[in-house]
Amino acid sequence: MLARRGIATALAMLSIGSAPAWALFDDDVARQRIEALKLESTTRLGKLDAQVEQSQRVQLDLNNQIEALRAEIAKLRGQNEVLTYELEAATKRQKDFYLDLDNRLRALEAAPAAAAAAAPAADPAAEARDYEAALNLLKGGKFADAQAAFEAFITTWPQSSFQPAAHYWAASSGFQAKNYPRAAELYQAVHAQWPSDVRAPEALLGLANTQQVQGDTKGAKKTLDTVVAEYGSTPAADVARQRLKQLAPPPKKK
Amino acid sequence: MFKIFRLMATTLLLAATAAQAQLTVEITGAGANRIPVAIANFAGDGLLPQALTGVVRADLERSGLFKLVDPGTTPVPENAAIDLNQWKDRGADALALASILPAPGGRYEVRMRLYDIARQNKPDGMIFLFGAATVRETGHRIADFIHEKLTGERGVYSTRIAYVVKTGKSYELKVDDADGQNPRTALRSSEPIISPAWSPDGTRLAYVSFQAKKPIIYVHSLATGTQTVVANFKGSNSAPAWSPDGKRLAVVLTKDGSSQIYSINADGSGLTRVAGSTTIDTEPQFSPDGQHLYFTSDRGGSPQIYRVAATGGTAERVTFEGSYNVSPRLSPDGKMLAYVSRNGGRFQVTVMDLASRQIQILTDSSRDESPSFAPNSRTILYASEVGGRGVLSAVSSDGRVKQKLSGQAGGDVREPAWGPFNQP
Amino acid sequence: MQTSASKIAIATLTLALLAGCSSSGPEQPAAPTESKTPVAPASPSGTPVAPPAVSGKTMTPEEALMASLKDPNSPLSKRIIYFDYDSYAIKDSYASLVSAHAKVLVANPKLKMLIQGNTDERGSREYNLALGQKRAEAVKRALMLLGVQEAQIESVSLGEEKPRMEGSDEAAYAENRRSEMLYSGEF
Repeated sequence: MLARRGIATALAMLSIGSAPAWALFDDDVARQRIEALKLESTTRLGKLDAQVEQSQRVQLDLNNQIEALRAEIAKLRGQNEVLTYELEAATKRQKDFYLDLDNRLRALEAAPAAAAAAAPAADPAAEARDYEAALNLLKGGKFADAQAAFEAFITTWPQSSFQPAAHYWAASSGFQAKNYPRAAELYQAVHAQWPSDVRAPEALLGLANTQQVQGDTKGAKKTLDTVVAEYGSTPAADVARQRLKQLAPPPKKK
Repeated sequence: MFKIFRLMATTLLLAATAAQAQLTVEITGAGANRIPVAIANFAGDGLLPQALTGVVRADLERSGLFKLVDPGTTPVPENAAIDLNQWKDRGADALALASILPAPGGRYEVRMRLYDIARQNKPDGMIFLFGAATVRETGHRIADFIHEKLTGERGVYSTRIAYVVKTGKSYELKVDDADGQNPRTALRSSEPIISPAWSPDGTRLAYVSFQAKKPIIYVHSLATGTQTVVANFKGSNSAPAWSPDGKRLAVVLTKDGSSQIYSINADGSGLTRVAGSTTIDTEPQFSPDGQHLYFTSDRGGSPQIYRVAATGGTAERVTFEGSYNVSPRLSPDGKMLAYVSRNGGRFQVTVMDLASRQIQILTDSSRDESPSFAPNSRTILYASEVGGRGVLSAVSSDGRVKQKLSGQAGGDVREPAWGPFNQP
Repeated sequence: MQTSASKIAIATLTLALLAGCSSSGPEQPAAPTESKTPVAPASPSGTPVAPPAVSGKTMTPEEALMASLKDPNSPLSKRIIYFDYDSYAIKDSYASLVSAHAKVLVANPKLKMLIQGNTDERGSREYNLALGQKRAEAVKRALMLLGVQEAQIESVSLGEEKPRMEGSDEAAYAENRRSEMLYSGEF
């Protein structure tokens, strides 16, 4: 609108500026020219008006388009936020799941893993042969060799049904070979892993012996107490009671 | 089991308050493990213009955490020799005895003893001096004492709530005691009032008024009744939220186009912009430690709750479920975020455990808005709608206890804000 | 009571205002040829322009302007722009309405306008206040694109607080999703 007013003013000035020329024309000609100018300016103004209006329409339209694009960008941004969140959540879940799985597998693998690597295919004959060989060494009084052989059997045949027996004999061999700490471990393993095995109370008696030999009377007493408490009706318990009496300190005099 | 308890009946004696608009509290759901407690009639209650025993019982029962055991009608003095086994047999886990005695200057003294029968602790005791005009306040303080001793957390019986009532074309900003009694009108206007927010010291309310045909933020001093303009910038001024130290307010201004979050001193000075975007950012709320601002933004194409450091920076999105999550409110203990979510066209109060991000929808009507935590974080007050009329409701933050607070007939109640522990 | 002269004067003035030439003053009455708006001393509906009940005398331009703003037959009396659900775009059908108001504001730089954005009642009051602001801003931007000075316009929101129609149905919601334009003296 300002532009149009500017043009109007310019036109007015133009007509004033052309005043000296008036003398050359008579009034009619002047009037005609002014009318022509007016008509021309009106037409031009009309065109400008149309241009301005068109430009404004376009701008409004552009404005609407920008708004629509903004809304579209916001939606995409929102989708991006959600996807990122879901991805992070999924990644975390997957990690947690993996860690959990890993822990479980680790626990499962812990015992058999070492053996599994070297484990030959199940061969009952070979298994029995190895056991027999170790037992023969023991019978032959080769206690250190016997212990080594039983220990090898334990690692080689982790699934063997001879495992409790092999532990027990490895311990006994170790005891005879004066390998007391290892013997104690193996005796303990029998009780801990196969508490209902017939050798379990015997293993505890062996453990008590080992402890006593090592000067751990208190530990020996405790072990014998365990035999009595857990295997009260077995012959081993009777032995344990006997030994406990021997271990008991002389009664104090009041 | 549904218990209905109408508090109005017990307080109709108070002519002054009975004449005014009151809120009636009705429990519509109770906790699974309510503590059975016996409140024997206080000895000397007859001296008072209003029975103190009733106020204490009403408070405890309304919380939904206690079950009142029938104590019989005989008043039992605070120092009476009692047989705890007898009370145990009646099913009481706790027993409160009290005596009211005249004190100098027309005042009264109440002595109370609380026996924790279940845990066999040593009895706790307290003494209050009070005047005839503060019977109810004293009752709330006794209830607070019992509540804290038996549950280990502070009671909110002595706190206040603010809300807006629209009656016809008139709007009133009201302040009540937490039990809906003792209503006071802080402000009356012919134009809408929204978003009341308590200052942390409980002395002032910030709110938005449309008195000037546009939203302007004011701070109203409850003691003096004076109003101060905090933000009247070109465009809209709204959503005031106090900083935990009570010095500043987070506000939303549109002076630069879209709704943006600013921070301003409570006297209207020191305006700074907190976060900038070209989209809507509104409903700011400080975290209780003052470190963060939670707010609603549509920067992601739908309104969601975001969090930004109070000093500014990159905002982080907090809500992801659904397409409409607004009105964030932090629990005073900082552990929970309550907000309103739209689920299948229904607006419901939802709570998020901030540590685990687990969410739980707490309410089940269709127009629940404006959640506000009790200062002990246990209860959320919110605006709901029944039969086209605004009512206030409350739900425990675990969703178990539900209460309805209905106003006087004809009034449309909305915009609740639970005040702080601090009592001026 | 109105004289026919004043009727014509008002009609001419109104049109002049619409054409954006009012500030040229009375000595330069708007030439009909300058206006692209169809020239007719009647409202678009074809009924005669109803004289505003002001006084029997010729009105000042300001009075005439205010009168035309209130005249139910003038396009300027239409002050409400309705929006679709969840939308802030001014529909094409409001283009001429917005442009008529823009012309008045451009022609009267001292004239101020308050635009109030509104929403329906669903959802949070504060969030609705922000949505209403978007509706007001949309109208403000359109007016500015049509040449109105920013200082003349203030866009504010009333959110869901001032419904035109009470009720919780789509008819009421549609009636309430709107922006309203108020001129100096009206707010």
